[in-house]
Amino acid sequence: MPVSLNYIFKRILLSILVVIGVIVFSYILLLYTPGDPAVKWAGNPRGPEARKAIEIARRELGLDQPIHVQIAQFIYHVFTGNLGLSIAYKVPVSQVITSGFTATLELLIFTYLLAVPLGLWLGIYSALRRGSRFDSFIQSLSVVLASTPTFWLGAIIALISYSTTGFLPYGRVSYKLATSTGFNPITGFYLLDALIQGNYAVFLDALLRIIPPALAISVYPIGVVARVSRTLVAEALLEDYVRSAVAWGVRRNTIIKHFVLKSIIPPVIQISGLAFVYSIVDAMVVESLVFGREGLGSILLDSLHKADFRVTIALAIYLTIFYISVNTIVDIIQASIDPRVKI
Amino acid sequence: MKRIILVLIALIILVAVLVVVLINKPSLVTPSTTPPSKIVVYAYNDRITGIDPSIEDDTGLVVLGSIYETLTYYDYKTGEVKPRLATNWTSSEDGREWIFRLRNDVVFHDGSLFNATAVKLSIERARDIYRNSGRGAGYIWDALEEVEIVDPYTVKFKLSYPQRVDILASAAYASYIFSPSAIVKSNAANYTDRKLEDWFNSGNAVGTGPYRLVSYDPMREIKLEKFNDWWGWRYINSEKAPDIVVIKIETDPSAQYSGLLSGELDIASSVPRETISNLKKQGFGIIPLPTYHNFVLFYNTKRYPTNITDFRLAIAHAVDLNRVVSEAVLGMGSVASGVLPHGFPGHIEGLTYEFNLDKAREYLKRSGVSTPIKIELLYQIDYEETKKFAAIFKTLMSELGVDVELNGQDWARLKDIARGVWENPEETPHLIVADWWPTIPSPYDYLYAMFHSESKEWNYAGYENPVFDELITKAWEMEGVNYTGALELYKEAQLTLYQNAVALGLWDEIRPFVYSQRVYVPEEALNPMYTFVIRFELVEVRS
Repeated sequence: MPVSLNYIFKRILLSILVVIGVIVFSYILLLYTPGDPAVKWAGNPRGPEARKAIEIARRELGLDQPIHVQIAQFIYHVFTGNLGLSIAYKVPVSQVITSGFTATLELLIFTYLLAVPLGLWLGIYSALRRGSRFDSFIQSLSVVLASTPTFWLGAIIALISYSTTGFLPYGRVSYKLATSTGFNPITGFYLLDALIQGNYAVFLDALLRIIPPALAISVYPIGVVARVSRTLVAEALLEDYVRSAVAWGVRRNTIIKHFVLKSIIPPVIQISGLAFVYSIVDAMVVESLVFGREGLGSILLDSLHKADFRVTIALAIYLTIFYISVNTIVDIIQASIDPRVKI
Repeated sequence: MKRIILVLIALIILVAVLVVVLINKPSLVTPSTTPPSKIVVYAYNDRITGIDPSIEDDTGLVVLGSIYETLTYYDYKTGEVKPRLATNWTSSEDGREWIFRLRNDVVFHDGSLFNATAVKLSIERARDIYRNSGRGAGYIWDALEEVEIVDPYTVKFKLSYPQRVDILASAAYASYIFSPSAIVKSNAANYTDRKLEDWFNSGNAVGTGPYRLVSYDPMREIKLEKFNDWWGWRYINSEKAPDIVVIKIETDPSAQYSGLLSGELDIASSVPRETISNLKKQGFGIIPLPTYHNFVLFYNTKRYPTNITDFRLAIAHAVDLNRVVSEAVLGMGSVASGVLPHGFPGHIEGLTYEFNLDKAREYLKRSGVSTPIKIELLYQIDYEETKKFAAIFKTLMSELGVDVELNGQDWARLKDIARGVWENPEETPHLIVADWWPTIPSPYDYLYAMFHSESKEWNYAGYENPVFDELITKAWEMEGVNYTGALELYKEAQLTLYQNAVALGLWDEIRPFVYSQRVYVPEEALNPMYTFVIRFELVEVRS
């Protein structure tokens, strides 16, 4: 068993400490951001008793307590699973975040299912033709892709899509289609939900709408994975065991499949994992600002704008746990497929 | 490797073909078994802050206005109050007792019967929650002592001082009637129990309106369904009215524009103003609705030099409001006359300061303020037009030798800073641009909130004038017995503000509602008193 229980225990402990740190840091930071949450909680009171309403709201939110008490109470609520109601919308904080989170996650997973194999293929193909024009082109392309601003590319893709096909990839799914076909999200991953319900019309519609933003976000992972895998394959081809295999007359395809690919997969997974969590920022920008899709980006901006500190901090916690989880999963996968790695 | 390339090319072609086919053949996407229901998607520009019919006094109006009804309805075109859930009403001579006779053919969305008990419960709840916690717009029922049930379809409003209850009953907030069954369903102990509020805000509603709530997600969308037992269908041709209404939250105006073009949206409330002419050319219908949402420039009357009346008048005469409306609002507004918007009860013409630089310089000289002088302008960056106004204002003031330092903030921060005028006026900017829209069709709504000395959350001028306070309080109480006389007092109050240049009315917003060719939205479906509420029962679905 390459993964020890000790490792998992340590990771969980570390996660708890990091979450506490994030809460403390976020809470203090939010004290200095504009807006009074009590005003929002009281519903922007207009009448003669507006001040009374705000004072009551301040008490209800615990904002009249010393800062260390407020933070301690917030941490207690987080670990007892009660994040309370959103200050701006009066619905559970988890409800506000969860649907946005699944929307962003669906987009990211879809993107990476396309981007990683494509980047990997480009890298391997380029390394096998080291020094050729194709190799130079792929090397340059990978740099360009990795450094292209995704929001800009997203806008270009949307424009091209509209001007050439008349189709504007707007939102996650056609409301009219979803409503008329009785589509009812279960997991929040629309593609999956549509398949579960056998609603292929919604599935195809959601697929059409996820492709353009996924293309925009995919340029970074394609670029990074292509560059890294090209380097790894090029290095692997110079290893003694590969040269020996070539000398023994082992077929080229067999060498690539059984020796080269095996050696580069663990580091590619690792780099993809890192890129995956990094891409969440790209997704948050592109989904809402360019493609009118719901997601974490709009929720974060809105919570800051409306002094909804409960949602802002909860979002930070979600993202922290997401980051740690992805890295842990990557470590475990790596340890499972690479006998040299022990965790 | 060549094989892999070929496979990839084939895959790409396949996907491309699939995309093109699906786009050009929507019938492939839409299954033929789809029931032919008439769906209308309406884009609203803000998330919903709550749907408690007694407490909500913000963006929830867009939902409440379709699923609940009030006793009366304010007709902005005639200025009259018309029957809704009440059929007629009378008041005592002293304006302290109002008897409303109710419709006897109304049912709530859950099948329970509408009657006097529901009216008593709904109105008294709004009042009591406000009295207990200061929340909501229940302050409009300040004078209400009791709603007495005379018989199952008659109620008597007993007041501590005279009021126009018919006007209050038509309010955009705090006057909606909900079914008493909500208390049982929410397991609340009484109507002020927090459980009832949480029950409403978690997506439950029992109103009498033409549409009932199907699903509620305040961040994304609200789905409504035609309520076939609505009493009003007998009077309105319901054949073409939508079966399902989706209120889609779309905060980005550009995304609303894209949604209209892509056919995803049928009605949009907030497209970029620059796109209006293009949309018109493409066959979209436009209703430029003159709203009661207005923008006002407050002077900090507690800080030098804006504490000097002549200096304030100098600034007022140096602002070219026609240019502001043309360049900042792109014509989607009308030059303000005073602080009450055009068409609103009590609005009077002739309260626009003439743009005259000579006059402005004369007042400046009289003020004794030597130039160059630096003053600070606080404005909201959430609105494109206030940002543009700030830039124009800075240029205009430079003509007077007044250097304007611009301080743009989002709404939450602006409010924090602006209310500092009461506690720390010297640290509060000299000028503040703010906006307002009313709860009730009464001048008191604007005048109290923005200029009464007790309204410390919204009076950004820091204006304190006992004479003014008394005038509007007297007018408010007079509304119930002598409405014309009350309007005269409100006029006097507005003249006081004008002569003392406490604030400068900038523009009254004209909001373009855009609809696609798939639907027809008659003008009557919109009403500035209930901004953003669309009477979907009047909307026709064409295809």
